[in-house]
Amino acid sequence: MSGGFLKAWVDQAGAFQEMFARLVDQSTAAVPPSMASPLLAPWKNFLDGMGMGGFNPEQMFPGTPALGLSREYQETAARLLDLSKQFQQRYAEFAQHNATIMQDAFHVLKKRFDEAPSASKTPAELYDAWIDCAEGTYAQAAHSERFARLLAELCNISSAFKVERGKLTEQIARHLDLPSRAEVDNLHRQVRALTTAIRAAAASSAASGAAASSSAASGAAKASKPPRKPRKRTKK
Amino acid sequence: MNASTESLAEMLQSAAAMQESGRAVLRTMLGMGDVEVGTSEKHCVLSEDKIRLYRYSALARSANLKPVLICYAMVNRPYLLDLQPDRSFIRELLLSGLDEYLLDWGYPDGADRFLGYEAYVDGYLRRCIEFVLREHVIDSLTLLGVCQGGTMSLCYAALEPKQIAQLITMVTPVDFKTPENLLSKWAQHIDVDLLTQSGNVSGDFLNLVYLSLMPFRLTQQKYVNLLKMQGDRVQLENFMRMEKWIFDSPDQPAAAFREFIQWFFQENRLIRDELTLGGRPVRLKNLTAPVLNIYASKDHLVPPSASIPLGAHIGSQDYQSLEVDAGHIGLYVGGKTRKSVPAAVTAWLQARR
Repeated sequence: MSGGFLKAWVDQAGAFQEMFARLVDQSTAAVPPSMASPLLAPWKNFLDGMGMGGFNPEQMFPGTPALGLSREYQETAARLLDLSKQFQQRYAEFAQHNATIMQDAFHVLKKRFDEAPSASKTPAELYDAWIDCAEGTYAQAAHSERFARLLAELCNISSAFKVERGKLTEQIARHLDLPSRAEVDNLHRQVRALTTAIRAAAASSAASGAAASSSAASGAAKASKPPRKPRKRTKK
Repeated sequence: MNASTESLAEMLQSAAAMQESGRAVLRTMLGMGDVEVGTSEKHCVLSEDKIRLYRYSALARSANLKPVLICYAMVNRPYLLDLQPDRSFIRELLLSGLDEYLLDWGYPDGADRFLGYEAYVDGYLRRCIEFVLREHVIDSLTLLGVCQGGTMSLCYAALEPKQIAQLITMVTPVDFKTPENLLSKWAQHIDVDLLTQSGNVSGDFLNLVYLSLMPFRLTQQKYVNLLKMQGDRVQLENFMRMEKWIFDSPDQPAAAFREFIQWFFQENRLIRDELTLGGRPVRLKNLTAPVLNIYASKDHLVPPSASIPLGAHIGSQDYQSLEVDAGHIGLYVGGKTRKSVPAAVTAWLQARR
């Protein structure tokens, strides 16, 4: 089971990466009608392999409680699916917003040339003028609350996706008897605590050593003083 | 020939010229190999975990000034300050007879994900400063903080004012919530707890954010402008050094990054006098040493409005600000500023010897 699960997970990661690369490359293009399907395909294959053919998570997950042996995986898969859909929706908004920015930039460029039709227009000058207009229009939009919120939502959804993916990785690591992230984290914390304790002990020992040597030095200084002359005893 | 035919002919000529330039650029780049950065001679005098403290070899007779410890940002590599011999802030200071140390935060990895901001400021930075003080048998030194390293330096100087004889901040954010600060606007709604829950924040993610600040210039125009270099090897090497530096961004330790974003960008604690480190309040009013605050008028990462308020919040009676006509990076490598800025720093220090 873990081999199939691992394959599903790797395929899922690949699909997500491909989707992300596509999104980055097509920042202004229309968003594909469904980006969730390639993301779900690995899980469909995985569940088919478990004898659950015909299972359609897109139809089944909403509101359906997870049941049976693979309950936890189903829940994680449902959350990943939900996050993928959220990402798709937000990205569509973001792409739309970017498309508007580009349109506005073209209008600004056109206006600039309309106002100065006699200005020289070599390809290089045209290009630089385009960059100026695009950057100016983008800056105006990028400072808006809407843009900041959209970016943050995309970032937050991706972060949540990573957290869920991390939970799957933990489960896979346990299946394969590999050290999990949680175990490594615990070790890091222990090493850090030990390092801090050692550093504190060394500092305290250095401080007490310095205090001891300074008191020894003052003792030695006293010792090196010439012996006092014995008092003369006077007979009463 | 009518006007439109002339204009078409001109465009075709320009296109042919651009194609030729492109070929020349490619030819030169193919034979260039790797570029060298950070060439000034230095040796490591202290190392702990990922951090290294370097001391630079003298290049001139000592100016008999306090040693300068440079605290660079964690989000980029410090060799920007010593990119190449003729574009080196560090080298210019060495030529003025300064004794320089550089704190290099290194490349944090998974083992550092739980290290908080305090561990960096009150831990590593403190131990580096105390090392220099011990080495020179002095009570105080000059601390020079760059960008995020400037904010860290401010925190430390407010915690330990007696150890800082002079403080120089360069392109340092102090007020993180000014209207011009685009990074800050974007940071407000980010769930940083969630972002850092899966570990360190990748340098690639940060690079993507930086590129998004001016996407058309930084992802398109700057490469198209290569054509203007006509295959000039020196110019292309300079470009490649900068390119190497820009994308050489270390991952950020999760806990320290989370605290930096929440405490500074989202809550603006430093300027609101609400920051504590290790249970101790960080109060800028405690900072009484002379301060030189250098900022860049065209800075798109740390706008001048983020740096300028420093003077009004510190306790020092000797405060001077210096506005430089440059961008965030151009301040160190720009044609005019690469000599004028180090000269201004040296003159300011000499006036306070």
